[in-house]
Amino acid sequence: MKTAAFPELASMAFRNLGRHRVKTAVTVTAVAISVALYIFIDGWLLGMNLDSKRNIVAFEAGAARIQSKAWFAKKDELPMYESFGGHEALSARLDEAGFDTAPRFLFEGTLLSRERSAPIAFIAMDPGREAKLLRWQDYVASGRAPVPGRFEIALGSMAAGKLRVDLPARPDAAEFEAMLAAAADADEAVFVRGLYLDAPPDRVAPAEFRRLKPVLAAMPGGKDVLRAYELPWDGDAWRLRKDARPAAFGELAAALRAAGFDFQPRHTLRPDASRTDRDRLWAILAASGRMDVRISTVIDIKELPARVDASKFEAELLPALRSDDRALASRAYPADPASGDRALAEADPGRRDRLLRAMLDAGFAPAVRHVNQLIDAVVVGTVDSPNPKTNGNVAYMPSDALQDEAGMMLEGRITELLVRAKGADDTALPDPGESPRAVKAALGGALPAGLEVYGWLDGVEDYIAASRGDEVSTRVMVGLLFVLSFIGIANTMLMAILERSKETGMLRALGMTGGQVLAVYVMEAAAIGLLGSAIGVAAGCLVNVPMVAYGIDYSGMLENMGTDYGYRVVAFFRSAWNPPVIAASALVATLVSGLMAIPPTLRALKVPVTESLRFE
Amino acid sequence: MTVVETTGLSKDYLTNGLTVHALRGVSLSFARGDFAAVAGPSGSGKSTFLHLVGCLDEPSAGTIAIEGEDVASLGRRDQALLRRSRIGFIFQAYNLIPVLSALENVTLPLVLLGESRTAARSDAERALAEVGLEGMGNRRPKEMSGGQQQRVAIARALVKKPSLILADEPTANLDSATGRDILELMLALNRDEGTTFIFSTHDRMVMDYARRLIVLKDGLVDSETGS
Ligand SMILES: Nc1ncnc2c1ncn2[C@@H]1O[C@H](COP(=O)(O)OP(=O)(O)OP(=O)(O)O)[C@@H](O)[C@H]1O
Ligand SMILES: [Mg+2]
Repeated sequence: MKTAAFPELASMAFRNLGRHRVKTAVTVTAVAISVALYIFIDGWLLGMNLDSKRNIVAFEAGAARIQSKAWFAKKDELPMYESFGGHEALSARLDEAGFDTAPRFLFEGTLLSRERSAPIAFIAMDPGREAKLLRWQDYVASGRAPVPGRFEIALGSMAAGKLRVDLPARPDAAEFEAMLAAAADADEAVFVRGLYLDAPPDRVAPAEFRRLKPVLAAMPGGKDVLRAYELPWDGDAWRLRKDARPAAFGELAAALRAAGFDFQPRHTLRPDASRTDRDRLWAILAASGRMDVRISTVIDIKELPARVDASKFEAELLPALRSDDRALASRAYPADPASGDRALAEADPGRRDRLLRAMLDAGFAPAVRHVNQLIDAVVVGTVDSPNPKTNGNVAYMPSDALQDEAGMMLEGRITELLVRAKGADDTALPDPGESPRAVKAALGGALPAGLEVYGWLDGVEDYIAASRGDEVSTRVMVGLLFVLSFIGIANTMLMAILERSKETGMLRALGMTGGQVLAVYVMEAAAIGLLGSAIGVAAGCLVNVPMVAYGIDYSGMLENMGTDYGYRVVAFFRSAWNPPVIAASALVATLVSGLMAIPPTLRALKVPVTESLRFE
Repeated sequence: MTVVETTGLSKDYLTNGLTVHALRGVSLSFARGDFAAVAGPSGSGKSTFLHLVGCLDEPSAGTIAIEGEDVASLGRRDQALLRRSRIGFIFQAYNLIPVLSALENVTLPLVLLGESRTAARSDAERALAEVGLEGMGNRRPKEMSGGQQQRVAIARALVKKPSLILADEPTANLDSATGRDILELMLALNRDEGTTFIFSTHDRMVMDYARRLIVLKDGLVDSETGS
């Protein structure tokens, strides 16, 4: 193709854009919206994922983790019988190689407070070593972190709220009375009362509100009350706005009372209460026993059963074993003619170990013995970190208190050893030097068979699933939007090229080749895409600036979702910049737009020139 | 020297299952400097003939040679290049490119031929002056009268100095005085540049300008005078 004429062809293409300005503007807008939305959503997903990953590493997982393969295979049930001992040797070795380690023992149980109970995932850990890898202890919102050697718990703030083992944020009248009663003397009672503001009621019935309205409107300060309430679209009553300032609650309550509305006081913890005051309040409430809890759990002990029912032995165990283990089992459990059961008769420790392993691998239930256990403890603090996993039904306890029969009979065993490079930046994702491979290399041959080094992403399937699902569904959604705007361009170009049939004929009569005609129309369509992309990129970036800097506060939404929605982000969802995607979305929109002109142009070029010229 | 030579040129159109024989074997030859009118009643095949000669459509039978080159042997692209370099068109409906100014319309054929932008512009300005449109180069087609538009179309056809200009009823949309002007213009070009003109018409006045008159009837040459 003659390229000498390119500027003329381009100029023709751009002038063609102005022939139907409204249509062009609509099409450009459609592309712009698609591109802007894509940039926004991509930045949002990237930000959520980046923050989630950072928070997984900094609050949950460290960089790598040593676990038994058997535990990992059954990790959903937290199989404490698949714990392992001898981790101090591993820690020492990794310490020399420049890694910090934190031993943990995970188990499930029920936490019973004075009033309620909830299922909780317990993490028995070493607070000092844990602090070197993970940051949750920096996010103890009320109270303090547990101290080694004591039966103390730091509880996820949401669980603490549900179990009522925290500082009550908005106690009702009865609860507030109980709190005052917990005060040891009048001084303390005054202190407690001073920490709480008299609060207006959460809800006002519509009839009551109608009655109060004119009274308040005529009163000094009454307008503030009216402004503090809203009637939600699905509401049956006026509600105190979520964003109403607690500092003004006293005045609001007073105004309501002055207007003749008699209501039960509902106190609100002063939002400006100092750390010292909060700690003192915690101590007062703890002294009254409010923070006392009891852990109900089951200790799983793997152990060869002394006797096995004969039919169970033959129908369940033997078929599940490999043939050599089957012989071993049959020899170890001879039939007991007296009872008809199979009774354990194997004394050799090696053979006993091998048989127990085989039974566990076969999922033979009698190989695990369950012992019910009740442990008294006290909640000393609540955790409220940027990772919702730490704020949910999670309890952190010092593992050294749980070693013997008074605790969990751990006897030095752990379920995982978290690993992170010493001095690693805990806002950064792990680097290759902290990968499972690197950790393994550092351990040399010291890693016992049966244990494995896993990466930080290996245990967070819920996050990966949520992230992948969102990724796919949002991209499909925006993809559809793109398709729609491309259909718009295709239609615009089809109409334009049909309408300009005669003109196309004349261009060909003048000696323009098919390629040159194609170039004019492709450039015209691409210009629509480029213009749309430019506006879209500008708009997308404009929206992204505050989204990256401040994020959106979703705390209201999160209240309904709880802590188990996969992403490890709390309250603020922040976006991140993704320049390659921004550039690519603009480029793709421009290119695909251009392509949209090809089919109608090729069709127009197929007919003889006379045919085009005849067209009116 | 022969500029156009057709032998047994035929064109059939198939419409609604009916075959229309628009041309049925026309053999004509035009020499350099010819100023020839193709006349005949409506539907006699005048436009069809000009279109085939201009490589705007494929004949059903017969051959066309432009300056000795057999057009049928050329691909689409080469036909476009042939039109670009050697043939100028003038249509009854002017057919200017609406988004381009008069000057740009006239410049376009030169730019397509690879002429530099400045040279093309000054050539185009000269061509516009020749057709009496000096200083009107910046106007868009819709800002001009029919006669002015047709002058631009003529300037566009002649600016690249083609060996052949095909004009299909160039004056049919114009009043007779303007038509006369246009014809005088064409005649002057023919005289000064030696450009070959083949134009179709129904108009006796136009035929009078022609030095050669070919009358078609039902797709056949009915009579030929002049040559
Ligand atoms: N594209 C086409 N499809 C079908 N029939 C056509 C086509 N073009 C021309 N014809 C037919 O071919 C015949 C010759 O048409 P042509 O346009 O060449 O005549 P003409 O002499 O130019 O007539 P006019 O003086 O009206 O312009 C007519 O019968 C016409 O209907
Ligand atoms: Mg005609």
